[in-house]
Amino acid sequence: MSETKGFISALTRRTVLNGIATAGAVAATARLAPGLALAQPSSLLTRAIPATGERIPVVGMGSWITLNVGASKKLRDARVKVLQSFFDHGGGMVDSSPMYGSSEEVIGYCLERIANDQKLFSATKVWTVAQAMGIRQMKTSEKLWGEERFDLLQIHNLLDWEAHMETLKEWKAQKRVRYIGMTTSHGRRHNDLEAVIKSQPLDFVQFTYNILDREAEKRLLPLAADKGLAVIINRPFRRGQLFDLFKRHPLPEWAGEFDCANWSQFFLKFIVSHPAVTCAIPATSRVDHMDENMGALTGRLPDARTRQRMIAHVESL
Amino acid sequence: MLPFTPEVFFAQFEDYNLAIWPAQIIAYALGLLALALAFRPTDSSGRIIGAILASLWLWNGVVYHWLTFATINFAAPLFAALFLVEALLLAWRLVIRGGVAFSFRNDGAGRAGAALMVLAIVIYPLFGALAGHGWPQAAMFGVAPGPTVIFTLGMLLLAEKRVPYGLIVIPLLWSLIGASAVWLLDAPEDVTLLLAGALALVLIARKNRHLS
Ligand SMILES: NC(=O)c1ccc[n+]([C@@H]2O[C@H](COP(=O)([O-])OP(=O)(O)OC[C@H]3O[C@@H](n4cnc5c(N)ncnc54)[C@H](OP(=O)(O)O)[C@@H]3O)[C@@H](O)[C@H]2O)c1
Repeated sequence: MSETKGFISALTRRTVLNGIATAGAVAATARLAPGLALAQPSSLLTRAIPATGERIPVVGMGSWITLNVGASKKLRDARVKVLQSFFDHGGGMVDSSPMYGSSEEVIGYCLERIANDQKLFSATKVWTVAQAMGIRQMKTSEKLWGEERFDLLQIHNLLDWEAHMETLKEWKAQKRVRYIGMTTSHGRRHNDLEAVIKSQPLDFVQFTYNILDREAEKRLLPLAADKGLAVIINRPFRRGQLFDLFKRHPLPEWAGEFDCANWSQFFLKFIVSHPAVTCAIPATSRVDHMDENMGALTGRLPDARTRQRMIAHVESL
Repeated sequence: MLPFTPEVFFAQFEDYNLAIWPAQIIAYALGLLALALAFRPTDSSGRIIGAILASLWLWNGVVYHWLTFATINFAAPLFAALFLVEALLLAWRLVIRGGVAFSFRNDGAGRAGAALMVLAIVIYPLFGALAGHGWPQAAMFGVAPGPTVIFTLGMLLLAEKRVPYGLIVIPLLWSLIGASAVWLLDAPEDVTLLLAGALALVLIARKNRHLS
């Protein structure tokens, strides 16, 4: 993983690094910080992690259900192809959790068999009670992934967060983890997450936001932006429901104006065009779906007016 | 919402069946022995049947739920605990305390009990095969929870005395949990779990009322 901290201090972070970078923006950055630009494939959409300015691709991948394939060699080898496609498309963040059964072990299996995973941004979670159990769990995760240290460790669903926060702060100070964060999904825990964001020194937060579930727009997204936190969006397809609801309808012609070729890109570009979002982490078990999803990593993004039009459109279907 | 897909569930079952082979044969032999003892009871047959049932529940708790299913399902350790508790209850009530005899009688409870045991041993795996997951993906009697639960309920219906309610709580609970596989895992054979649970509950309650 490339370290960009050295360059960041030399830049006016807000103006150059915040916001989406595309080929043009990266080229502009290249003149100011050549190392930084070299770290990015030229045409990928990336966003800066506010804490450091390090850029990551705006589409990552999740692993709930889709990578939990147990010990089956046949299914594991099929997932190697999915992850391979993810990295071939320039993907970065892979998100998992000890809650996701064998997913972490399967990620480790895949990473061992993939050559071009240098851009991996490893993100997992701690999901247990008590500090000692959390430490044991995080060490197990390191082994399962085959990672010496994670890029990001998050507290899953705020479970016993006070206990784990102690460990995470300590590990970050010891450079045993690069970033720390907290996650929840939809609805009822948003208030709790808000309180934690206000009181704890987090780098990342993760919650649900998609074209139908937009509650986060009201408070969480503005708060995260205000606090300078990177935001990971889970359930970008509402666990796949968005396809069940809309895929029988043709994609509106004007989706081409922001380079969407399918519904997947329509849903993802809606999310990552929100200025406070750092990346979305759709999960898939299929290479063809991965290809579709990663298509959202390039091309233009909808502006604020177009985003309203997107909402109005899906709500009219 | 399950943390895995039906494809993964049955792929795991396939690996499990192949890994534990020939445990299935031993389980079937034990099941048939228990059935035979219920048709030709001896002085110690109640204890032997209790030991067989307890060992099958122990196997399901440890080898299936704890060592296998838990690798893809975070809820499986809880299931393992339930199966271990039932194994202990069966061992304590039927083997250690003893005094519960099982015998076939040609009445409603007797016929239903025998039918449930035949369902568990023969029909359930065949039903699964018809639904597209035959051997080696099949949930086999004795080493898979569903048919083991149905068999246990069937055997308890053959108890000569009142059936201790404590012994049927976990099997009934599993008949509900397991039946969710009909919808969640596309496993229509598990509808028999629900039917077995309902039938056993009604007949055991009736039988206990008559005997009290
Ligand atoms: N509290 C938390 O920390 C938390 C909570 C929820 C989620 N998460 C994280 O966020 C990730 C994403 O959320 P999610 O997995 O719940 O839901 P999601 O990404 O919204 O949806 C996943 C579903 O969408 C389908 N899909 C993906 N790409 C598709 C395409 N191009 N066309 C059609 N269908 C497609 C997948 O099926 P196929 O396999 O068939 O493609 C899968 O069933 C999780 O995997 C997890 O890592 C974290």
